[in-house]
Order: sequence, then structure tokens, then C-alpha cells
Amino acid sequence: MDFPFPEYNLQYMLPEIFLFVWALVVISFDLLSKRNNGSTTGYLTLFGIAIAGLLLGLVGNGKGFGKMFINDNVAVFFKVIFLGAAFMAVGSSFGVMQKKIVNHRGEFYALLLMSTTGMMFLSSSQELLSIYLGLELTTIPLFAMAAFYKDDKLSVESGIKYFIIGAFSSALMVYGMSFLYGLTGSTDLAQMKVAFFKTHLQFGDMGIVMILALIMLAAGIGFKLALPPFHQWAPDVYEGAPTPVAAFLSVGSKGAGLIAFAKIFVDGLYAYHSPDMAPNDWGMLIGILAIAAMVLGNVLAIRQTNIKRMLAYSSIAQAGYIMIGMVALSASGIASVGFYLFIYLFANMGAFAAVAVFEDMTGSCQIKSYAGLARTSPFFSAVMAVFLLSLAGIPPLAGFLAKYYVFASVVDVAQRSADSSWMYWMVGIGLLTTVFALFYYANVIKVMFFSPETSPYKVEAPLPAKAVLAIGVIGVLLFGLYPEPILQFATGISSSLHFMP
Amino acid sequence: MVPISAYLIVAVVLFGIGTMGVLISRNIIVLFMCVELMLNAANLALIAFSRSLNIMDGHAFVFLVLTVAAAEAAVGLAMVITIYNNRESINIDRFNILKW
Amino acid sequence: MESQILTLVTFFPLVGIVLIMLAPKDRPDTVKGVALLVSFVTMLLSFWLYSMFDKVANGMQFELNVPWITSFGINYHVGIDGISLLMIVLTAILTVLSILASWNSITERVKGYFISMLLLQIGMIGVFCALDLFMFYIFWEVMLIPMYFIIGIWGGARRVYAAIKFVLFTMFGSLLMLVAILYVVSAYHGFANEYSFDILKLATMPIAYKPQLLLFGAFALAFAIKVPLFPFHTWLPDAHVEAPTAGSVILAGVLLKMGTYGFLRICIPMFPQATITYLPYICVLALIAIIYGALVAMVQRDVKSLVAFSSVSHMGFVMLGIFALNLQGVEGAVLQMINHGVSTGALFLLVGMIYERRHTRLISELGGIVKVMPVFATLFMIVTLSSIGLPLTNGFVGEFLILIGTFKANMTYGVIATSGVILSACYMLWMYQRVIFGKITNPENEKLIDLDWREKGILIPLVVLIFWIGIYPKPFLDRIEPAVRSLLTQTNMVREDIGEPAFTVETDGSLSGMTAEDVNLNSKGEVHE
Repeated sequence: MDFPFPEYNLQYMLPEIFLFVWALVVISFDLLSKRNNGSTTGYLTLFGIAIAGLLLGLVGNGKGFGKMFINDNVAVFFKVIFLGAAFMAVGSSFGVMQKKIVNHRGEFYALLLMSTTGMMFLSSSQELLSIYLGLELTTIPLFAMAAFYKDDKLSVESGIKYFIIGAFSSALMVYGMSFLYGLTGSTDLAQMKVAFFKTHLQFGDMGIVMILALIMLAAGIGFKLALPPFHQWAPDVYEGAPTPVAAFLSVGSKGAGLIAFAKIFVDGLYAYHSPDMAPNDWGMLIGILAIAAMVLGNVLAIRQTNIKRMLAYSSIAQAGYIMIGMVALSASGIASVGFYLFIYLFANMGAFAAVAVFEDMTGSCQIKSYAGLARTSPFFSAVMAVFLLSLAGIPPLAGFLAKYYVFASVVDVAQRSADSSWMYWMVGIGLLTTVFALFYYANVIKVMFFSPETSPYKVEAPLPAKAVLAIGVIGVLLFGLYPEPILQFATGISSSLHFMP
Repeated sequence: MVPISAYLIVAVVLFGIGTMGVLISRNIIVLFMCVELMLNAANLALIAFSRSLNIMDGHAFVFLVLTVAAAEAAVGLAMVITIYNNRESINIDRFNILKW
Repeated sequence: MESQILTLVTFFPLVGIVLIMLAPKDRPDTVKGVALLVSFVTMLLSFWLYSMFDKVANGMQFELNVPWITSFGINYHVGIDGISLLMIVLTAILTVLSILASWNSITERVKGYFISMLLLQIGMIGVFCALDLFMFYIFWEVMLIPMYFIIGIWGGARRVYAAIKFVLFTMFGSLLMLVAILYVVSAYHGFANEYSFDILKLATMPIAYKPQLLLFGAFALAFAIKVPLFPFHTWLPDAHVEAPTAGSVILAGVLLKMGTYGFLRICIPMFPQATITYLPYICVLALIAIIYGALVAMVQRDVKSLVAFSSVSHMGFVMLGIFALNLQGVEGAVLQMINHGVSTGALFLLVGMIYERRHTRLISELGGIVKVMPVFATLFMIVTLSSIGLPLTNGFVGEFLILIGTFKANMTYGVIATSGVILSACYMLWMYQRVIFGKITNPENEKLIDLDWREKGILIPLVVLIFWIGIYPKPFLDRIEPAVRSLLTQTNMVREDIGEPAFTVETDGSLSGMTAEDVNLNSKGEVHE
């Protein structure tokens, strides 16, 4: 039998390969220099990420490994986000490195790079198997990173919680994937789409199995995204994990979940029809999850006293807003998801970086320790306020445009399709919850600015952390006023996901 | 020939046992074994589908799932040891410093 | 230059913000100087704008329309008509005065304060310039944050509560507005197959009656919170009382006008049918606001909250004038927006001046001030009379026009509104008598020093404006009129469409100086009474 040998086309994979090799370089360097190298490991990692970004710009679009690795607009867009998240996480980790992780810098950065590699592979996958591998390569290093303070009970506990949830959710996902594979006879999403078009599936009417598979997959990815009812782990893990890891988790891991979701549900299963479940129905299902996330996340965030926990609940709510873009199931909906994540990268990584800087200095993550900070460190407080206001969606910061885009894409769809009044409700509830969101974000600002006492701390950030804060602020302000390039970039995504009209 | 439904039923049973175990068990090691059980249920389903469809993708999937499970086990067991050093216990009810 | 001037006026305070940021921390006087200079130049620019404004021309002037976010169809579209012109000039003047008023009272975190003031100015002028709904929304929200800081950091004892209440109320309203914007833009996409936020374009789109009602409701609620109309006014006394003097001046002088401006610019032109449906309800609410505001003001013990409640009453007049939907009513309403900004702004400034001396605003603590502060008492008198609406002052012209308009539209409303005028005379004069006249009961009042040159300098421009508008309002009315006329033509056409009798569109020649030809222009809207 003449077996067609697939073309490897390894060049398209160059950034990933480079990043992986660089992870090994970083860890070897750390070992060879007898762990005594100051911040050099960190700068080395930043350099590697920058080079990977450069390579990403150079390789261009194309396919490798037959159809298992595709570098298209979606992939490039999300890879940029993941590299950005890695860059900002590393940038905000220098303080932690000096104080807490003195002897394991190499491992930390290597794990972070490997996790980033996993996210990048995931972005390029077009097929269940590589989606699974990408997700695992993303999360397994993150388990270890969450538990990185080996002697800190909180950190280890958060690591083990993340591990249990992560392993459980990926088991659910694989099981769902196995059903999808059985029903369509392929792991390739494009072929699955074709199979769904042929309404006669190989095993006759397996509608219920299909629904089961969808639920398993949705639950598995829901865990990664921390969508209610699968959200309980997030606050614990965010609180216990080292702050740069929590930051990386909030954007990177969420991005990974989103891209997996977009690939499997929005792209792969778009054509899925059965008497039991029209696409609109599972749009509604996601809509309900999104509403639950927005309401729960925002309401529970109000009573948090630990800023990391508060940001965790806020990130649950943000996941809800992002999922609204998915509900639209339209080209602009997907573009809005990408745009939202891109903006979220700046605002959220910035906020976490600020929290990390403050924590390194004071050892506290309590909101009340921020009291009166505006008097001693006005610049730092202003920067923090900008991030929080962007997360709250106050114009002219970029977070507002992101929210606007997500909601506008749903309203657009709702106006075109019949039987869509629930979408308006979703938009209404979503916007209403932003009032709650404003309440707790403004609360932090209130503590920093309005408190009568003067803070005993004066914030001094190390240079890389300053750079991260600056990148965040510039991103939030610049893309709030001139979002056009990113919007174009994000619109490109939808051309790669093959939508039916 | 054994019909495919038989394999699938076994897989469902295994998966059910695994899921229940994860939800009920309080011991991390048992809990972890239950996750492995779930993965193996998925593997069984994949193999069965692969055989009956006569498409080899499923086999490849299983190998990779096994590999990933091994990697997961390596990280997971290391963390179990760490937490045991930390807390002298592997009962998840004791891991409650962070509100669960 | 013509088309860039609005951008220049709007964003000129940015120069000040950058300069203040660069200024050293230990030189508060430099910071204050920069802020004053920049706002002064902005004011001169706005005067220049005023002088270049063509009062005969119809439609928008100084228009600039360039693509901004093309993916969403958002343009940078600015332009002004007579209404926005006057609001911009008022904003520019009040900003200068409130910066002057904060000269001595703001002692800590000076940089942040003046940055907030200038940012606020950008937002306010931006709202009045914007002809793109998205820009309108952004500027609308931009004002929120600096005001939050101004109340929350430099305010009084309950400032944090007031600041958060202010933000949550406003935010709630603006989110409703955002929902409506989302819907309108999406509907326009269905109608014209392009995305556009252009207020002028959107107004040309016919919207079905039922969605129109909902959309009007959403916009109206957002604006009504800002005005504030009767049941939504509860944030206002808190915010006013707790804000520093300059914050109150800006809040009363300009921010409240955003609400009524929104009705004029967005609600009425875009949703004319819904306007007519909602008209009676809004008029009733406005009447309640007039009476309720006056009655509550009467029992206040704090001068500042008295003035705050008088704002509720006065803004009720403005709303009533707008929804009389005839030339006198709307013209009077616009003029009254200016008047209220001038006289209430002046009242807050005066209250602030006495507070700086006595550190109390309780009426019972004051009294007999005329003996120690004659200049203060005189100026206070003028402003009080203007607020009541005595002839020869600005308040008279505005309220008179509004009342004429209201009587034409509905006799009952007119009668009730007139009683509001009497009530306002009661509470203002009573307050004045208790604060200024009588014996000096409190020994602390004996040592009070009269106004210094800075304070006189702040008040005199306002007094000049009070008399100018009171005696010779023609230049202002001339500029308002074309804008109001085109607004009314639009709504009256709809009114005829749905078979309701149109109100008379004619004018009181003596006040606005209109000629007979002008009246004939709109004779088709006339109705036999």
C-alpha cells in the first residue's frame, strides 16, 4: 500500500521549536552557572520570548505535519497573545525571583516557556489530538508552577487543587473527544464538519451520545475557563499561586481554553444539527453559562478582601463577557473574542504585575494594605487605577471597546435572527453586572486614593516590572483610542475559521 | 465478534466509577487513580471506535493519552509528596487553608 | 482652521495636563498657575469660537468628520449649533472660575486636583461638540472618573459615600444608554447597510413605534438621572453637599446640563414619536421636581443643600420648557440652562466663600453678615434675585420664556409651574434673610473679613453675565433660535403625521427679535387655538 507521507514543513513550527529549545537553554544556563546568576536567567527568558515573537513574524502562514499543524490568522493572533502573556509574566516575576524562588529560577522559567509552547501548539492545532496535547502541555507545567513555593502551604495547596481539577477536566475532555471521534470517524475538525453535514452518521442516530460528548467537552473546557459551575478552583489557585503564575494563568490558560473552545465548538461543530439540538440551542447553553459567570463572578468579587481573590472572581466574570462573543456564533463574534482577549492581556497582566510588585514589597495581598498608597506612590496608584478601570470597562480605556465589541456582535446577530429575545436579555444582564464590577474595582481605587491615612509603603518596582506596567498602560490607553490595527488583526481570525453564512 | 456497544458500555461503567471516585474519595492517591480510570475509559472507547471504524487515528490518540497520563502522574505524585511533607496528610479535606 | 477649532478647544486642556504632570511636586503655585493659564486660554478660544459662529446659518458649524475606528463605523465627528456653542462658552467660563475658586481651598494633592479639573473640562466640552454617538458616550463617561476623584478625595465628611453613589447612579444610566446605542446602530446597519454612529444620520432612520418607546426610555433614563428629574435626583444633594466648591460649581453649572442637552440633541430628534407619547409623563415629573425641589429646599438647614435642591427645581423648569416643544419653551429652556449655570454656579461659589471663612454652612450658625461683609452681601443679593428670576436679571428671561411656552402648550402645567416660581422666591429670600440680615447672634461672625480681590474677580464676571442676559438677551437667543427651529420642525412634522395638533411655532418678537418672515417660515406648523 502506497502510504502518502505527510510533508513536515517544520519551518512553520520554528517559533515553538525555538521556545522549547530555549526552555532547555534557560535551565542549563541556570545549572551551569551554579544557580548564582542574579536576574540573568530572567532576561535570558525575556530575550527568548522576544526572539520567538520575531520568528513568528517571519514564518508566515502555512501547514505542517499534513494537516495537524496550521499557521493561520487565528493561530498567529493567539500566539501573539500567548507570547505577550509570557513576556509580561516573566517581566513581573523578577521581584519574586529575588525573594522567594532564589534557587529554582531555571526550572520556573523553563516551565513557563514550555507552557507557552503548549499554548502556541494549541493555537495551531486543527484536530482533536493536537488540541488535547496542546492543552496538556499548557497545563501540566502550570500545575508545578502553581505549587512553586514548596514550603508555602498556600502555594502547595493551590497547586494540588489545580492539579486535581486539571486532571479531572482533561479526563472529561478526552472522553468527550473519544465520542466525537466515534461519531464522525475522524479527529480532524474539518472532516468532522463534513461528517456532520452528511446527516447519516455511521452509527445511526446517536443524538444522545452526541449531546453527552458535547457536555463532556464543554465541562472540560469550562474548567479551564473557570466558567460556573466549574469555577470554584480559580480563586483558591489564584490566591495561593505565586502572583506572576496567577497572572499567566489568568490570561494564558484562559486563552488556551478559549481557543480550544472556538476550534471545537464554533468552528468544528458549527454545522452540527440534530432534531434534539439546534446550534442556536447550544448557543443558548453557552449564553446561560456566560450569564452565570458574569453574575457570580461580579457579585462574589464584591466581598473579597484579598486582591488576588478579587481578581480571580473578576477573571471569572471576564470569561463570561468573552463567552458572549462566542454565543454570537458569527464572524464578528469571534473577532470580538480575540479583541477582548488581546485587551484583557494588557489590563489583567498589568493589574497582576502591579499586585506582584506590591506583594514583593509588603508581603501582603490584602486590599486594605493599599490604603493611602496614592499619597506615597501616586504614579503606581494611577497605573493600578487605569488597569482596574479598563477591566471595569470605562471609556476611553480599551476595556470599554472590548466589551462594546462583544455586546455589539451579539446585538447584531440578535437583530438578524428570529427567536432571539434571550440574547437581548443576556446583553442587558451583562451590562447590568458591569455596575457591580465597577463597584469592586472602584473600591480598590477608593482605598488607594480616598483613604485619609498615609501609606507606610513607597512602591519601588524593579526595572522589568516597570516595563511591564508601562506596556500595560500604553496598551490600554493606545488601543482604547486607536484600536483599528488590532481590530483588523482580530477580524482576520474569522477568515480562518470557516464559517457557514 | 463482540459488538462495539459492549466495549462502550464497559467504558461508560469505568468512566462512571472514575467520576464517582473523584467526587467521593478524600484520599489524593485514590482520587488520582480514579482520574486514571477515567482516562482509561476514554482510551477503551477510542480503541473500540478505532477498531470498528478501521481508522488508525484512535490508536495514535490512545498512545498519546497514555504518555500524557504518565507525565501528569509524574507531576502529580511529586506534588502529593510535597504536600505530605507540608501537612503530614493526603486527605483533601485537610487542604482548607484556602477556602475551597 | 475653521474645522479644527473645535478640536483645539476640546483638547487644549490636554496641554495643561501634560505640563502639570511634568511640574515638580513641591511647587503647588506653578501647578495652579498652569491650570489657570490653560483654562483661561481655553476660554479665550471659546470666545473666539463664539465670535466666528455664524448666527444666521442653519445646521452644524465648524464640522469635522474623519474616520476614527472604521471597523465599527465610528467617526471623529464634531460640530456645533447655537445650543452647543453657548454651553461650550459657559463650560469654559465656569472652569476658569472654579479653578480660581480652588486657589486657596485645595491644599493637598494639588497636581491631581488640577489634572482632574482639566480632564473634566475635556469631557464636558467634548460632549457638547460630539456629533457621533460613540464619541458622545466616551466623553460622557470621561467626565465620570475625574468627578469621582474630585468628590472622593477633596470632598467633605461623607465624600466617599457621595462619590460612589454618584458614580453608580451615572454608570447605571449610561449603561442603559449603551444598550440603546447598541440597538440603534445595529438597526441602522439593517436600514442603510453600513455601521454609523452619526447622530445626524441616525436621526434620519425611521424606527418602529414600539422599539422607539424602549429606546427613548433607555436614553431618557440616562439623561434624567443626570438632569436630575424627580425620582432619580437622590444622588444630587449628596454629591453637591460633599463636593468641594469647584466640584459643585461644575456639577451644577455644566454636568446637569448634559442631561437636558442629551434630550435636545439625541432623544427628541431621534425618537420624535416616542417623545410625543412620553411627553405628558415627563412634564408631570418635571412639575413634581419643580414643586418638590422647592419645598424640600425650603426646609434645608444647610445652605449648600438648599442650593442643591433648588437645582432640582430649576432643572424641572428646563425640562418643562423643552417638553413644551414650542419655540418659546425650548428657547427659554436653553437660555435657562445657561442661566442656571451662571446663577447656581455663583451661589455655590458664594457658599464656598463663606464656608472657607466660617467652616460651616448651617443657616442657624450664620446671620447678620451684611454688617461685616457688605460686598459679599450685595453680590449674594444680586445672585439670589437672579436665581428667583427677578426682571432685569437673567433668570427672568429664561423662566418667562419657559412659562409662555408652557402656557401655550398646556394651561394647567403653566399654572402649576408659576406657583413654583413663587415658591422659589420664598425659600431663596428666606434663606437670604436668615444668612445675611438680622443681628449677629454668633460671635464668630463678627470677625469675618469681606471678599478679597480674587473672590471679587471670580464673582464679577458672573454678575455681568446675569445682567447682560437679563437686559439684552438677543445675542444669545439669536444663536439658539435656528437650532431650536430645526429641532421643532422635525418633531412637528411627526406630530402632524400621527394626527396630533401641532403647537404654535411663533415667537415673542420683543424678546428674541424675530421678524415676520421668520414666523412665516414655520406657518405650516400653526394651529388654530
